[in-house]
Amino acid sequence: MPANKKYLTTSKTQRFAKITAGFFGGYAVTVSLFMAIGFWLNHIHVLTTLRFGGFMLWATLFLLAFLFKNGWKAWGVYLLITVLFSGVIFISKIYHPIV
Amino acid sequence: MSNRVYNILFHTHTVSGIVISVALYIIFFAGSFSFFRDEIVGWERNEPVAEESNLQAIDLDVMLDTLDLERELYGRDIAFTKYFNERRINVNLAASKDTTGSEAAKTGSFFYMDTDNFKTYTYTSNYSIGEFLYRLHFFAQLNLWGTSGYMLAGFVAFFFLFAIITGVLVHWKKIVSNFYVFRPMASLKNLWTDAHTALGIIGLPYQFVYAVTGTCLIIGTSVMSPAVVTFMYDGDTNQLYDDFGFNPPQFELANEQLASVPDINQFLEKAASKWEGFEVTTLEIFNYGDTNMKVGVEGRTAYDKKFAGRGEIIYNAITGEEEHVVDPFTETSYLNAATAVITQLHFGNYGGVLLKVIYFVLGLISCFVIISGVMIWLVARDKKHISEKKRKFNAWVVWIYLAICLSMFPVTALTFVCVKLFLQDFTPERMTAIYHIFFYSWLAFSVFFVIKRDNYFTNKYALISGALIGLMVPLANGWVSGNWFWKTFMAGENQIFLVDLFWIVLSITALVVAFSLKRKPPQPIKVSEKKNYSLKNGIDKVLLMEGASKNYN
Repeated sequence: MPANKKYLTTSKTQRFAKITAGFFGGYAVTVSLFMAIGFWLNHIHVLTTLRFGGFMLWATLFLLAFLFKNGWKAWGVYLLITVLFSGVIFISKIYHPIV
Repeated sequence: MSNRVYNILFHTHTVSGIVISVALYIIFFAGSFSFFRDEIVGWERNEPVAEESNLQAIDLDVMLDTLDLERELYGRDIAFTKYFNERRINVNLAASKDTTGSEAAKTGSFFYMDTDNFKTYTYTSNYSIGEFLYRLHFFAQLNLWGTSGYMLAGFVAFFFLFAIITGVLVHWKKIVSNFYVFRPMASLKNLWTDAHTALGIIGLPYQFVYAVTGTCLIIGTSVMSPAVVTFMYDGDTNQLYDDFGFNPPQFELANEQLASVPDINQFLEKAASKWEGFEVTTLEIFNYGDTNMKVGVEGRTAYDKKFAGRGEIIYNAITGEEEHVVDPFTETSYLNAATAVITQLHFGNYGGVLLKVIYFVLGLISCFVIISGVMIWLVARDKKHISEKKRKFNAWVVWIYLAICLSMFPVTALTFVCVKLFLQDFTPERMTAIYHIFFYSWLAFSVFFVIKRDNYFTNKYALISGALIGLMVPLANGWVSGNWFWKTFMAGENQIFLVDLFWIVLSITALVVAFSLKRKPPQPIKVSEKKNYSLKNGIDKVLLMEGASKNYN
C-alpha cells in the first residue's frame, strides 16, 4: 500500500529542493571528494574507483537528501561539504599538483 | 528505523521504481538476450564458430595480402580486433602516413572481414539481431541528440541502483521472515508483494552488480570525467587519456619501404606461446611495410587461469625484438583489473554457456520483479477512497506499461523468424530492415493490447503468441538453411543448435505458464486481517503476522 502521506513532503518547493539537492548536490559532493583524495593518493586509482564507486556514494547521498526535514538545508549541507573539498582541491593544486 | 524514515524511503522506492520501470524492463529483457549475442549472430548468418575461438587461430597474413591488393596498405596503422565470438572480425585501417601516397591510401576505413572467405562488410550490412538487441539494451537507437540514448540508459541504471538501495532498506526488518512467505491464494496485492520481495532478494546480488557495472560502463566516463578534466587536469584531456591508456602508441613513419613485409602470423604465435593461457584479442600493425614497422599484440588471460589479466607486447617487426611488454599475470594494474572485472561481470562471458543460462534466467526474474512492482503499485491504489479519476489513470498507466513490456517477447520471436525468412542478404539495407521488423511489430502488438485494456489478456496472449512464434524459429531456420537442429547437434555446430534449442525451451516454458494462468475472481476490497493466515511451525508467528499486515501498508 502507498506510503503514509503524513510523513511525506507535500510542498512543491520542498520537493524540488530535495530532488535537486540529491541529484546535483550529491554529484558535487561525490566528485569533489574523489578529486580531493586523488591529489594525495594515486589519482589513477582514485579516479578509477570514482567510475563505479562514485555512483554508489551518489545514490546514497541522493537518498539522504530526502531525509532532511528542510530541503534547502540539504542543499546547504551539500554545498558546504563541496566547498570544503574544493578548498582541499585548491590547496592541493598548489602544493601537490598532478599535471 | 522511525516511521518517518520508513515511509520516506518507501515512497522514494515507489516513485523511482515506477518512473524507470518500462525502460528498465526493456534493458533487462534485451540485455538477457544479449548474453547470447554471439550465438544469435552465428545462427542468423549460418556461420558457426568453435566454442572458444580467438585471434591466434586466424591466418592474418592471407587477410593482409587480400587487403593489400585492394587498399594499398603501405604506411597505414592496421588493427584486427576480435571482440565477439563470431567469424567476422573488426578491421580498422588508418589513413596512410605516406604523404606521397594516393588519395585512396590517405583515407582510413573500418569494416568487418570474414576470416574464412575474406569478404568484407560495412557496419550496416553486417548488422544482426544480436547486434540490434545488444544495442537496444542500452538504447543506442535513441541517440537522437548526441548520446541521448546512452544517457537515458545510464540514468535508468543509476535510479535502478537507487531503487535497490531503498528497496533493501525498506525491506530490511522482514528480510528473513518474509522470504518464506508466499501466499498465492491470498489477495492479488499479497501475491504480487510476496513475489516482488522474495524474487527481489534472490536476485539482489545479481541486480546490484548489474546496476553498478551498467551505470559505470555506459555513463561512468561521460558523467564523471567533465568535472575531473576541468578541475584536476586543467582541461588537459590528452593528459587524462594518457593516464588511462586511451591514447594508442604512436610511431613515426621512416618513409623507407621494405622490400618484403615480414610475416605477421609469427608474432601472433610468439605472443600466444609467451605465456600459457594468454588469449590474443587485438593485433595492431604500425607503419605497415615501412622500416619502422611495429606489431602490437594485446590480449587477456584465459578466465580459468586468471580472472582479470590484461597483457600486451610491442614487437619491432623487422628484428622481432620485444620493445614493450606488460605481463598479464603479474603486472595487472588496478585500472585494468577494475575495468576487466566490471566488464566481465556485466557480460557474463567468463563461465561458458551454463553461466550465461543462469544469468539469462536471473535477467528474466528481474523483469518479473519489475512487473510485479508495477502491479503492487496499481493494486495498492485500487481502493474505494481513491478518486475514480485517479484510479482510471492508474489503470491506463498499467495497461500501457504491460502492453509495451510483455509484447517484447512475441516481437523478439517474430524478428528472429522474419530475419531468417526474408533477410538473407548482407546489403546495407539490412540494418533498417531489422529496425522496421522489430519496431513496427512492437507498435502493432502494443496498440492491440492497449486497445484490449485487459492485463490478464495481455499477459496470457503475449506469452502464447510469443511461444507459438518462438517455436517457429527453429522451423524457419531448418527450412531456410537446412540446418535442422538435430543436424547441427550431430555436426557439433553448437552456436546454431543452442539458439534453436533455446527457443524451443523458452517457448514451451511460456506455454506452460500461459495455460496455468487463471483469471482471478474479483477480490474483496479488504481482506479480513489475521484470520486468513494459518501459520506453520518454525516460523516466527509474531514477525509473520506483522510482516503480512504491516509491511506494505
